Amino acid sequence: MSRHERWAAGAVALMLVAGAAIFLYAPTDYLQGPVQRIFYLHVSSAIAAYGCFTVVLIGGLVYLRRESLVADRFARAGAVVGVVFTTVTLVMGMLWAKPIWGTYWTWDARLTSTLVLWMIYAGYLLVRRLADPGRQAARIAAVVGIFGFVDVPVVHFSVTWWRTQHPGPVVVNDALPPEMLATFLLTMACTLALAAVLIAIRYRIETLSDERMHMAEEVKVMTAPEPRMAP
Amino acid sequence: MNPVRVAIAVARKDLKSEWRTRELVPALAQFVVLALLIGNFGFQVDTHNASAIAPGILWLALVFAGLVAFGRTFAAEREQASLEAMLMTPASPVAIFAGKAIAATVLLVLCEVVLLPALTLFFGTPLSGDVVAAVLLATVGMAALGVLFAAIVARVRARELLLPLLTLPLWIPFIVAGGQAVQSAMGLPGSYQEAMGLLLDFDILFVVLTSLAARFVLDE
Repeated sequence: MSRHERWAAGAVALMLVAGAAIFLYAPTDYLQGPVQRIFYLHVSSAIAAYGCFTVVLIGGLVYLRRESLVADRFARAGAVVGVVFTTVTLVMGMLWAKPIWGTYWTWDARLTSTLVLWMIYAGYLLVRRLADPGRQAARIAAVVGIFGFVDVPVVHFSVTWWRTQHPGPVVVNDALPPEMLATFLLTMACTLALAAVLIAIRYRIETLSDERMHMAEEVKVMTAPEPRMAP
Repeated sequence: MNPVRVAIAVARKDLKSEWRTRELVPALAQFVVLALLIGNFGFQVDTHNASAIAPGILWLALVFAGLVAFGRTFAAEREQASLEAMLMTPASPVAIFAGKAIAATVLLVLCEVVLLPALTLFFGTPLSGDVVAAVLLATVGMAALGVLFAAIVARVRARELLLPLLTLPLWIPFIVAGGQAVQSAMGLPGSYQEAMGLLLDFDILFVVLTSLAARFVLDE
């Protein structure tokens, strides 16, 4: 078992522990019933997604300053993992909203800005795919990642005029009973560990693909036909 | 080299070449009128709902016209590889970028000169100074972002695909605040002052950010 496989197995085990706490330990919500158990993973993955996009932001800033390949690979890894966690947040939120609000989607500040977040980083991944890999792509992507990080609070702030349906923060407001709070903190820790492991694995993949590209270029140089003189 | 003079020179060059070819502005004008036509059929506009629908159609038409306009910003430079030549001069990349942005803003404003009266003509909404001010204020920030991303995608394959995907999410703040401002200027509820203040904040924020980023996008 390689190092990365061990980490992956550890992350899966942690998520199973979190799952057990969510379904066996945490009490059922009096008003919402079992659906409320979505809360634990929904909020945890949102926090993990913010963490991933912070990695993209810092990676981008460091890359623009120092042209460090390591920073760029971290940014790439953070973007992929962040989009995954944003998707999880959105899908679980929609599943929760349907029974409680009666609709999958509503144009409220939190939902709108999360959707914009998803769109921006999905665009980031497309830039990485479409731009020719190398310095140019890394610079462009760094700029996109930085602007994306700025835009999301701005969107959130600008749409707060519209009525808000999404509940405010319950964790910091001390609104949770102790068992729920313990379950939430455990789930959040496990989800963050999972995100860190996913970023580490993705970082390894990006390193390997950089090396492969580098080798392919060397082979191309070595096997290029000799320039022939005109007869 | 004085950066202000460089920016003005670049803007003048772009506007002069548009004046000589007269390609983009007529095409954009026709495009926005077509967008209004589509809005009319898509929404079944009548005298009762026109004032509620018109602001939305205005922003849809403007956003897509903006994408077309900014997609062309670097077309001439790309075709003749003149951007590299400009960057080889001692002129600062930020000044060149500012020049391109000024020219693109002027072209988009010209397109608004057609769009706003046409909206009044077809939808019967008032064409007041408040509406014009809101649209112009939004245009500044949208143009700064649009030209930055046009510069970004200029060297990427499939640039026509990427420009809307990258630009539209970043334009959303302007559309939220600008939409609110135009709605209240057209008599729907909402605070005009608050929306205009927010638009100004976004303009300042994104103009500063794009000028900081321009160096990394153009400098090669």
